[in-house]
Formats: sequence, structure tokens, C-alpha cells
Amino acid sequence: MPQACLVCGAFVVYLLGRLLKTHNEVLALFTALFFGVALGLLMPLFKLTQAGDLPVWGHLGPAGAFLRADPGALLVAGVALGLGLLVAIYSGRYLARDRRYETYYPLLLLLVVGLMGVVLAADLFNLYMFSELMSIAAYALVAFRRRLGTAIEAGFKYLVMGSVGAVTMLLGISLVYRVTGTLTLTRATGTPELWTRAGLACLLVGLGIKSAVVPLHTWVPDAHGRAPSTVSAMLSGIVIQSSFYALLKVGLALGLPAYDLGTLLIVLSLVQMTLGNGLALVQTYTKRLLAYSSIAHVGYFMLTVGIGLRYDVALAIQAGFFLLLAHAAMKGVAFLCKGVCHFYCQATRIVDLRGTAARLPLVAAAFTVAVAGLAGVPPLAGFASKWFVLTGALRSADAVGYIGLTVFLVNSLLSLGYYLPLIGTLFARVTPEGSKTLEPSIRVSPLMTLPLVVLGMLVLAIGLHPQPWLDITALAGDYLGAMGR
Amino acid sequence: MNIETMWLVTILGAPLVAALLLCALGGRGARVAGWIAGVAAALSLAGALVLLPALQAGDAPALSFEWIPASNIRLALRLDWLALPFLVTEAAVTLLAVVYAWGYHHADENTAFFYALLMFFAIGMSGTTLADDVFLFYVFWELMLVASSVLIAVWGDGERRTAVALKYFIFTHLGSLMVLVGLIVLYDAAGSGSLSVLREGVALAPVLVTTVITLFIIGFCVKMAIFPLHLWLPDAHAVAPMPVTIMLAAAMLSMGTYGILRFPMSVFNLAQMTSFAVPMMVAGIVSELYGALIALVEQDIKRIIAYSSVSQMGYILFGLGTLTYNGVAGATLHVIFHAIVKALLFMCVGLVIRASGRRNIAELRGLGSAMPVAAICTAVGALAIAGTPPFCIFNSEWMIFSGGFNTAHIGLSILTVFGSLLTVAYALLFVGRIFFGAHPEGLAVKQLPWAMLAPTVLLAILALVGGLFPAPLFDWAMHELPLLLRGAW
Repeated sequence: MPQACLVCGAFVVYLLGRLLKTHNEVLALFTALFFGVALGLLMPLFKLTQAGDLPVWGHLGPAGAFLRADPGALLVAGVALGLGLLVAIYSGRYLARDRRYETYYPLLLLLVVGLMGVVLAADLFNLYMFSELMSIAAYALVAFRRRLGTAIEAGFKYLVMGSVGAVTMLLGISLVYRVTGTLTLTRATGTPELWTRAGLACLLVGLGIKSAVVPLHTWVPDAHGRAPSTVSAMLSGIVIQSSFYALLKVGLALGLPAYDLGTLLIVLSLVQMTLGNGLALVQTYTKRLLAYSSIAHVGYFMLTVGIGLRYDVALAIQAGFFLLLAHAAMKGVAFLCKGVCHFYCQATRIVDLRGTAARLPLVAAAFTVAVAGLAGVPPLAGFASKWFVLTGALRSADAVGYIGLTVFLVNSLLSLGYYLPLIGTLFARVTPEGSKTLEPSIRVSPLMTLPLVVLGMLVLAIGLHPQPWLDITALAGDYLGAMGR
Repeated sequence: MNIETMWLVTILGAPLVAALLLCALGGRGARVAGWIAGVAAALSLAGALVLLPALQAGDAPALSFEWIPASNIRLALRLDWLALPFLVTEAAVTLLAVVYAWGYHHADENTAFFYALLMFFAIGMSGTTLADDVFLFYVFWELMLVASSVLIAVWGDGERRTAVALKYFIFTHLGSLMVLVGLIVLYDAAGSGSLSVLREGVALAPVLVTTVITLFIIGFCVKMAIFPLHLWLPDAHAVAPMPVTIMLAAAMLSMGTYGILRFPMSVFNLAQMTSFAVPMMVAGIVSELYGALIALVEQDIKRIIAYSSVSQMGYILFGLGTLTYNGVAGATLHVIFHAIVKALLFMCVGLVIRASGRRNIAELRGLGSAMPVAAICTAVGALAIAGTPPFCIFNSEWMIFSGGFNTAHIGLSILTVFGSLLTVAYALLFVGRIFFGAHPEGLAVKQLPWAMLAPTVLLAILALVGGLFPAPLFDWAMHELPLLLRGAW
């Protein structure tokens, strides 16, 4: 029960912080410990699903289970736990200038509990509950630096949009329940009737808000831009994607034909990719740039999975999950690097990153690996995913798929227009008048470098040796593909 | 692992070890960096030459490891006759460029990284020629681009260097993406990334065949800087530091030629390629004329030679487009000879810029008496590029033209021959304006380091020797031809 472990962790960490006034570092390590144990508990479940078993928990009467593990959900949950583990370690130093650690770490743990619930939920009720848990934790984390007006503003915007999404979801759930009388997420047979379809539409919109689907994405840049970098890394790396996975599962479970869902995703992804990359080109703040890049990557994910569902290409869905995995690692590094620059050099705008290579060489290297990976430069993780995405996408059988593919290629060229200058900025020489910034390299706390190095190596490892990761994503892709059939 | 495989690994491994060593040394390695890189480049070249007897014995040194079994992608290297001319050219150019850099590059705390990137650039190029798997091919193909654009962005001349590097990266990446799509289509159709499997032929729908060949040709033409896809080239060449310019112009451009030979021309058969013959020939001629015309009016001496590359790549594309025995053999020879001559000319330009501190041709005059060695070398280079016998390019142009006259398109062939008049014009003007005339007052000439002069002189001699004794190189090209177009000849 990984989730139970995390919930316990949330209480323990809160009490430790509250009652014993424990130091930030200790809290961080405890949190990391809980993440690690949860990850350890998750591992056996992978084995079970590999054997074709879908373990369930909590029999709630005739309604069935309340959580069900499927390979895709386990993949997302595993990524979230891994990222959470590293983020927790990193926070041990990153939050040194903040207060109220005792609320931060429990919120982080609860965020992941909610996230796991969202992807593992076996029925709509639990999906909703966990989604709310995740979102509320996320709102609070975005506004964690409550002395900053901008953080409060971003958190509030996120809260308003998220709540609209939640209400829409709830409406959808009630409509579905009214007609079918059940909330379980198993593949429905036969075509859904009108009210189910209306409910489904509401659910998709609600989940779409949470997964930053254009045009419901407007909270993303603000929330990512204003939240602490650690929180941005979580939000951008996996929180958005978890809602998206739920969206896919709900859509297929409620009887939306895979062909239609695929078409919808492809069409939406065209706007999503172009808008994400186009707006990223004109950003002045690093985190907003990265946020728009995430929107674009959600677009790539949508396109790939959309092609997979529309043409029933298992390879494309697998590629989508591979992209999700690679993106989580790359975006994690990118946001965490940005956090280091902010922590030591007060860098917020892109131009503030000038001279990072001289002051923080290791961070600059990790940042470069991450951004080059996002740009799809071989042999990093981003390139491997680009290769698999293209391999999958080329199996599409008609014009819709090919248009999607072309737009994808154009976008991957477009995205170089902001990734490469970002790398250039890192290595730019600092102008003489900024004499204060010419100080020699800064010693970065090992609590911050460790997660960076681990994730950076992971980006390289996924690119150089994709096979083990492919094995995991293949399971997830096949599961979703089978659901669509 | 036998001795051949070890040499095969050395070709890539020596520069890789050198690059990693240089990165590890960092600022401490400034003094030895050039030597480390030189030794690695020499080993790389030695590896390519040592394997020559094995090839002549009918062997193809290869090695192969499992990489991504789920996708049937292997870590496979293979040296065959098609790769050999390009590999040797690339390795030799790298060695000379490194030696030239000893004199050109001022040592500072970043010198080790400069040489490390040169090594990565070289690995990218030799890896591209050796890769026996499409995935691996593309990884090396992009490494070449990444390393060279970092070199331009960091060590380029002038304030615009980052902008130029960005333009270079994005423009060439456009071509790379086209190639990538083509590669994936082939890989998907064959179910394997192995080039040996692809050479057996791939079953594709006719419309897909046309699309893939188009994508490949356009994609590789971006790398070859064929008009109108050449826009990245003049800026990149003019801004890059001279050793990088030499490697770009003499070695990297020809990777596009290698790509065209390796993919569309060895995977598909003559019938499938025929409809592309005339477009390729026409694009070649247009590029030839355009490059030569701009070279006539350009003022910056580095850009003149850069445009000359656009023109020379036009000859090569024309030769490939003839789809004849002579034309394709000529194109391959032209790759080698052009590398010699273009490296020579850029080295001379570097000498002139270093000695006089000027790069505008209007401000240069009468340098012949002050720097006679450079003047003679430049004259050799100019005569060679103009196709004058007995210098080497005469041989390859002869073959290319004769290939052209073997086709049904005599008009196009005549146009190419007369187009070469423009080459003569800019080449002779180039020498005349820089080295002849009265030496203007106030034009001081600095002493040149031997490391810059020695490779220049060596190349000038090679340009002559290559012209007088081209037989071994013809032999290489002859061996390569049966691998193309399913042995149509």
C-alpha cells in the first residue's frame, strides 16, 4: 500500500516539524524516505502487472474495488514517486530561506497520494476525490510563498480554474451515474446514450483543465512560473500528465470509441503544440518558458497517443508513454536547475542566467543536458522519444495522421528557436558592468546537486539505453491500446 | 575481437578518448591539448588506412552489438568501399585542421574544450560514414551538427556568432528532420535498422518511394548547401574559426554526398531513381552558376571561398544526378579532390588574414612579394579549383562532364562545362587581387607560424600529386560503384 505509506508519512512529517521543530534538512530526508519506501512498495506491483494481473484494493460492496493497478497507472505513479523523492531531497536546501516546512512536506506527500489515486482509481467517485486532494495540495504549494503577491495570485488563478474543472467533472459524474447507475471504470459495451455522452464531455473538459489542454491551459504558465521550482518540477513533470492519463482512461471506459478519441486528440494536439512552442518563443522568464514547453510536450503526447488510438498502433501509444517518462526526467532537471540559479544568483528572467556556466558549472551542464534533451538532440532521452514518436506516427494511415506528423516536425524545429538560445545564455560571458556577478564558481549544496546529477544521468541513460524503459512503457501502451479495442 | 575490429574501433575510439581526456583536463590541458588531439586524429586516419588492405581482400570490417532489441536497433559499425573515400577524406582533413589549429588558435583556459569539440566533430563525421544502423547514423549525423555549432557559437569571430550558430543549427536541422523521416520510413518498412538489410531493397508503395527519395535528396542537399538551401553556409563559414571552417567545407559538406549515395542511391534501384536525375542535374547547375557568380562579387575573402563551395557542390550533385558510371565516380573523386583544394584555399585565406589582419579583398593587394609561399599555394589552389590540368580537380571534373555527356541531356552538360568558366574567373581574380599589383603602404605583414604553413604546403603538393597519379583513388571509386543502384552498372 504505497499510498497509505505516504499518508502516514504526511502525518509523521507534519508532527515532527510541528512538535519537535525539526530542521528542514531532516524533514526533507524523512519525506524522501517515505517516498523511497512507497516506491519500493510499488515495485512488486510492476511484477504483478507484468504477469498480466491487475491487483485491486478495497472492496466496497457490489460497486467493486476502489483502486485498481494497471501498467499505465503504475508507470505514472512510479515516475511521480521517483520525482518526488528527488524533489524532497532537493528541497532540503532549496527551502532554507523559507519557513513553515512542516506544511510543505506533508503537502508534497499528499500531492503524490492524490496523483496516485487519480491514475489508480477504479471508479469515478474515487477519481474525483483523489483529484481534489491532488489539486488542493497543488494550489497550496503554488501559493506556498505567501508573502509574494504574485504567488498568491497564481495560486488563486489555479484554484479558480481548477475548481471550475472540478465542478464540471462532478456534473459529468452525476450525469453518468444518473444514466448508467454505476461509476466503475470498466470498458462499457455498446454505444453510450445521449446523457452519458454529455457527462463524458463534462468529464473530459474538467480533466482537460487539469491537464493543461489548450485552450484551458491559461493557469499553467502562472502557476509554474510563480510556484517554488520544486513544485513546478512536480506540476510540469507529472501532475499534468496524470490528469491526462485519467482523461484517456475515462474516455475509453465510458464508451468513447478509440477512433473518435484519437481523432479528437490529434486535432487538439495541433493547436496545443503550436501554441505551446509559439508562446515559449516570446517568454522573458525562464520558468514560463519551461511551462510553455510543457504545454507543447503535452501536445506531443496527445498527438502520439491520438495516432495510436485512431489507427490502433500499439507502438505509438508506447512511444507516448516513453515520451512521458523522458519528459518527466528532463523537465525535472530543468526546473531544479532553474531553482539552483534562483537560490544562489536570484535569476528569474532568462537573461539573468547569463554566466551560469562560469558560476555554477555543474548546474549549467545539467541544465544543458535537460534543455538539449527537450530539444531532441541525440543521444539524450528526448531524441529517443522523438524517434519512437516518429516511428509510431508514421504508421498512421491517412491524411489526419500525416498532417499531425508534419505539424509535429515543424514544431520540433520551432522549439529549437527557444531551447538553443537558452543554452547559449547559460554559457554567455557576463558583461563587465555586472561586476557583482563575476564572482567565481559557487559551491552548491550536495542536497541540490545529488538530484540534479541523478536526473541528468537518467536523461542520458534513457537516451543511450532505452531498452529497460521501453519494456515498462510497452506494457502501459499495450494496456491502453487494449482498452481502446 | 580481431585486429581489424580493433582498428575499426580506434577510428572512433581514439578521438573519443582524446575528447574525454581533454574535457577532464579542462583548463590544465591548454598546452598539451593540441598534441593530444593531433595524436588522436592521426590514429583515426591510420585506422582508416590500415583497413584498406582488408577491403581490397574483399573483407568488410564490422562489429555489431545489441542495443535496443525491442526495436531491432543495433550498435553496428561497418566499413565498406562506399564509406572508405569519405572516411579517409574526413580523417585526413581533421588531422590537417588540428595541425593548422596549433598555429591558428591562441591557447587560453578553454583551449582543451576547443580541441575536444573538434574531436567530437570528427567523431560525428567518421561515425556517420561507419554507422551500419539508421538510428546510429542519425545520432552521429546530429553529433556533427551539435559539435560544429557549439564551436561556431563559442569560438566564432564577431558579435553575431551566436546568431549565426543558431541559424546554422536550425537550418541544417530542417534537413536533418527530412532525413530522419526518410530513415524511419525505411527502417519501418525493412523491420530493421541495418544498412546491410536496407541494401537488399525495401518494399514500399510507389508514392512512398517518391516521397522518401525526395526527402532524402532535399535533406542531404541542405548539408551540401545546394542553392537555394545554402543560406546557412556563407555565414557559418565566415564566422567559424579557421580550423572549423576547414572541417566544415572540406569534410562536412561531403557528408551530404555520402548520404545521397548511401540512402537513396543504394537502397533504391535505377528505375526508381531515374525521375530524379534531371532535377538533381538542374539543381547542380544552378548551384554551380549561382555560387560562382556570388563568389565573383563578394568582398570578404572567406566568403568568396565559402561561395565557391556552393558552386563545387553543384558539380558533385550534377555528377550524382547523371546516374551514370562516370558521373558518380567523378562525384566521389570530386569529394576527395575538393576536400584537398578547399582545405588548401581556406588555409591560404587564414594565412592572409593572419598576416595582414584584413579580410576585405578591396583592401588587399600585392601581397605576393611579402608572402611568396602563401601566394604560390593560393595560386595552386585557384588553378586547381578552376579545373586546370594537371591539378587534381581536372580529373574529377573530366569524369563528371563525361558522365553528363553519357546521358540524354547534352544541353545540360554543355551548360555545366561552360559554367566552369565562371569558376576560372573568380579563382583567378581571387589570386590576382590579393597577390599581384603594388604593395600598398601601411599594409604590414606578420610572420606566420610553421604549423599553419606546413599543412598548406602539404596540401598544395597533394593537389598536384592527386592530379598526376589519380589511379589509386579511381580504384576506390570503382569498388564503390557496384554497391550503388543494385549494381546497375
